[in-house]
Amino acid sequence: MYAVETLGLTKYFEKKGSKSARIVAVDHVSFGVKEGEFFGLLGPNGAGKTTLIKILCTLIIPDEGTARVAGYDVMKQPDGVKESIGWLHGETGGRALYWRLSARDNLMFYAYLQNIPSDVAKKRINALLDFFDLTKDAERLVKDFSTGMKVRVMLARTFLPNAPVLLMDEPTVGLDALGAIETRKLLRSVCKDLGKTIVFTTHNIVEAERLCERIAVMDKGKVVAIDTPLRLSEMTRKFRGVEVKVSGSQEDALKVLERVEGVKRVRNVRPEEDHTVIQLEVVNEDEALTRIPESLRKNGIRLIGIQVALPTLEEVFMSLTGGEKE
Amino acid sequence: MKQAELVRILEEDKPHVKLPLRQFYGVVWSSIKMMFAYKSWMIMDLLSTFASVVMYYFVGLQVNPLILSESGWGTSYLAFSLVGVATSNYLWSCLVRLSHSIQHEIRGGTLETIAVTPVNMLTFFIGQTVRGYLVSLILLVGIFVVGIGGLGVHFQMTSASLMATLLLFILMLISNQALGLIAAGIVMVHKRGDPIAFLVASMNEFLAGVLYPLEMLSAFPLLQAVSMMFPYTYALDGMRRALILGASLADAGVLTDILVLSGFSALLAPVGFVVLNWGYRTIRENGSTSSY
Repeated sequence: MYAVETLGLTKYFEKKGSKSARIVAVDHVSFGVKEGEFFGLLGPNGAGKTTLIKILCTLIIPDEGTARVAGYDVMKQPDGVKESIGWLHGETGGRALYWRLSARDNLMFYAYLQNIPSDVAKKRINALLDFFDLTKDAERLVKDFSTGMKVRVMLARTFLPNAPVLLMDEPTVGLDALGAIETRKLLRSVCKDLGKTIVFTTHNIVEAERLCERIAVMDKGKVVAIDTPLRLSEMTRKFRGVEVKVSGSQEDALKVLERVEGVKRVRNVRPEEDHTVIQLEVVNEDEALTRIPESLRKNGIRLIGIQVALPTLEEVFMSLTGGEKE
Repeated sequence: MKQAELVRILEEDKPHVKLPLRQFYGVVWSSIKMMFAYKSWMIMDLLSTFASVVMYYFVGLQVNPLILSESGWGTSYLAFSLVGVATSNYLWSCLVRLSHSIQHEIRGGTLETIAVTPVNMLTFFIGQTVRGYLVSLILLVGIFVVGIGGLGVHFQMTSASLMATLLLFILMLISNQALGLIAAGIVMVHKRGDPIAFLVASMNEFLAGVLYPLEMLSAFPLLQAVSMMFPYTYALDGMRRALILGASLADAGVLTDILVLSGFSALLAPVGFVVLNWGYRTIRENGSTSSY
């Protein structure tokens, strides 16, 4: 059984200024997320990611299709869904908290609504405040917090019900680079330890690549591809090639590599701090992986590494969404 | 705290039992905590209300007692206006508080956070109104204490008249809160402030006779007819009969007011719930739970 499953899920919205015209925000989307999987919805603004995730947490009513979360139908069993999810709307930048309540009171209020028994709630709140480094600020009003601190309170709130499925909409928006890196690290490790299923939206390709086991690429309401980041790269590669890392003279290395049998041309040369990365288009990658090291060794050029060249997720994304990217 | 310790604590659990009353308590508890975060606002509100009581005392000195007595309301203008001033806070709470709170929740993005929890939204919305009732109760008690204790106003406070007042008061809350639910449902969808609630509350205050006897409207039959369409008009009339004239539930005037108010409540309460539900469903259909 999937932890999250959609079948032909569709949502139309009225076009602003015209009651008869409508736009498709989510267009017959079908996918399944396995239990314990970290699943990303990647797409540019307006791709339909937020609408989709809001349907999953019962905030938006779909027009067609079905969706199930933790086995509950979002339309027919919304209470079951709500008891099985932790929700984070990062795009609000900490707005979705009560600013005139303290961090602790925000969490306690949420515990009341989530039907968490008081003694369990108090223990969890203390632990989460401590874990997110908020203990000394726990009694301060949230209005006096920085954006990073507010997002940490929201993260604590997301984990408070210990729900099996976490639905997160742009969880790192509004955080500085360091905060975003720490949040990603934390999401990855805590969720793995707790065995959570995570569906999260992002338009940040690096974030999707680092966090997700699988990614659904969305564009104009449709899911245009679903797979692991690696397979998505393989799916969209347009040439057969290898990437060679060498140290020493770049010119000497290029002269040798151009003469290796099966090398069609040099596609790209990228000098790094203490080595050079050379991308080659080849006839056959397996043969190239054997021949290139031999030739380099014979000519006294130090090889640091060699691998099959795959497009980056950024290139995959551009290829799948027709070149538009955020 | 180490991650392993957090994981251990999160995994310690007990069955979650859905208790709407506990959720309701949570809404009221948080709402009152937020109110105490606005200390200066609370103090200003209390001071301005008490100042208005003193102002009506001086206005009362200028009012010819004959006008009141000819209308059948005794001779104390302060007693007459005090009933109106004390209950008009409740009127505003009933009519405007919920739609204000919904606007605030949508703008702040908190409505979505609440809507994804297992709380029944009606429990949440009704819980949100309690704070307004409590503030109004403090003001009401304060107004009567200042009026009776400080300015020597005399009311007929027998058990029969107090019983009638209480019943009329409850019916006033139900019927006006139903209007507040209708306003809140409309505000949720149209997201244009709460002109309906504001208009109804202002017209109520003006036409229901908060500060003057309705008999004075006899020269303006249209306004008098409109005033008869508001439940507050009947609530004020009945409460004044009880508190100023000492009428009990057996009094024909009080009984008529109770019957009319019961009719309003029976008619408006279901409509209020339907409109509020319609509003909430509509914003979930058009995806505007976080846009205002």
